[in-house]
Formats: sequence, structure tokens, C-alpha cells
Amino acid sequence: MLALVRPDSWNLPLFLHVLGASLTFGATATVALLGFAGLRGDPERALWLRRLTFWVGFVLLVPAFILMRGTALWILDKEYPGGHHEPGWVGVGFFVTEPGALLVLVMVILAWLSRSPNSRGAVAVPWLASILLAGLAIAWFAMSAKPGS
Amino acid sequence: MSLYQWLLFFHVTGAFFLIGGIVIAGILNLAAIVKNRPPSEVAALFGLIRFAVPLIGLGLLLTLAIGLWLVHEVGYGYGQTWIVVAIVLWVLAGALGNVDGRYQRQTGELARRLAAAGDAPSPELWARLRNPRALAISYGSGLMAFAVLGLMIWKPGV
Repeated sequence: MLALVRPDSWNLPLFLHVLGASLTFGATATVALLGFAGLRGDPERALWLRRLTFWVGFVLLVPAFILMRGTALWILDKEYPGGHHEPGWVGVGFFVTEPGALLVLVMVILAWLSRSPNSRGAVAVPWLASILLAGLAIAWFAMSAKPGS
Repeated sequence: MSLYQWLLFFHVTGAFFLIGGIVIAGILNLAAIVKNRPPSEVAALFGLIRFAVPLIGLGLLLTLAIGLWLVHEVGYGYGQTWIVVAIVLWVLAGALGNVDGRYQRQTGELARRLAAAGDAPSPELWARLRNPRALAISYGSGLMAFAVLGLMIWKPGV
């Protein structure tokens, strides 16, 4: 019932965190869609879709992920100053976003390399995006239901 | 886990589906209009937008149904200003989204026809893609969903 007693000063970081998470989810799903679409069809069309995949990843996914992660630390600092008595569901967020950040980085680099017709990395991009989507779903379960609290 | 925790999870899941779907459609729509793309590229992008539609529909359903259940479960009043404003915005966003969806479907069909007929640039397609009224409806609908998200967090008047 935290939402019912939340101090007003937590609202802005929480709003930005949820906004960042929603944008991350939408941008990751778009990278997956464009990435899978870029694996078939004629080579010229596939290359155009891969270029678009890179731009969506670089221009939208990376900033959205940073917004989500940065505001998570902001609100965590307000809710559990000094990191004391953090419940288990908070750890799930770190468990997902720390490897998630690495996944985003690898995904964007592979998407950038996939702009060349000879690159084989294009196959991995949509699958990595799908793995990130699964991780995000686990995190939003932990963040919203707060199991164990 | 309590009923409240499950309801909150499904309500937030609905919000993620709704806003995530809006973001997918928004990105692909923006990608279609930023450059003077050939009709086949526009058709390909609009073809991908169809994957966002069930996500938006499920999101609309979950946010409203579970949201109303949560109001009852937590003990808020259905007449509280932030809840009434959120429902009005939800209805408006849904109605505008529906109008936009029909317009986008017709634009996608036009792009597919033009692509099949030689893929030459078309002023008609370009005008539809950049129609200011259609863009205002499309992005207005999305912004309303973001406004509902803000209301859910700030809960003014509580």
C-alpha cells in the first residue's frame, strides 16, 4: 500500500522512472520488430530496416534506458537512503537492469555493425531485444506487485 | 501475495502494454513521415504498426477494468476528481486512437497499392502522412495516455 502513503517528493522521480521504463519497453519491442523484419525480404530492404533498427536503438532505447535506470537510483535514494533495509524486489531491478545495460550496449553495437551488407550480427539483434523484453517483464512484476513486502 | 498486489501488477501491465504500444506505433509512424520515403517503405513500416494494435487494445482493457477494480479494492471514491479526469482522458484517448487507427489503415492500404503499381513517389500519400489534423489526433491521443500516467502517480486531491 506504499502508493497510498507515498510522500509528494517521490512523485517526480517515480513518474520519470515509469515513463523511462515504458519508453524502454516500447523502444525494445520496436528494435525487435524492425530487427526480425530486417532478416527477410530483398537485401536492399533488409539493409534499410537494419539501419532503422540501429537508429531506434541508439536515439531512443539508450536514452530511455538511462532515464529508467537513473531515476530508479533517484527514487531509491529517497525511499531507502544509504541503501539500508532494501526489500528483495528492489534487488530484482538491479538484477535485470545491470546485465540489461550490457545487453543494450551489445545490441546497439551489433545493430551498428549490421548496417553493412556483409555483417552477420543482424541475426542476434532482435533475439537480444526479445531477451531484454523478458527481463523487463520480470522487473515490472517485481516493481509493481512487490512480492514479499 | 495479496489481491491488491496482483491487481496492481495487472494494472501496471496494462499501462506498459498501452504506452509501449503507443511508443511502437509512434516510432514507426515518425520513421514513415520524416523522409520522403517510397510507398513500399511506408507500407513496410505501416505493416509493422499492426503488431502494436493488439498491445494497445489489451492495454486499454486492462488499465480500465483492473483500475476500476483497484478503486473499489483500495477504497477510493469513484467520484474523486483524479479518477473522473483519468477516465475522461482514457475515453478520449481511446476514441481519438480509434479515429487515428482507421486513418492509418487507409494510409497503409494506399501505400501498398502505390508500391504494387511501380513504387513511384505520390503527393497523395505524402499529404496523408503529413496531414496536420491526423497528426494532431494521433499524437494527442498518445499524450493523453501519458497524462493519465501522471494522474495515477500524483493522484491530485488525495
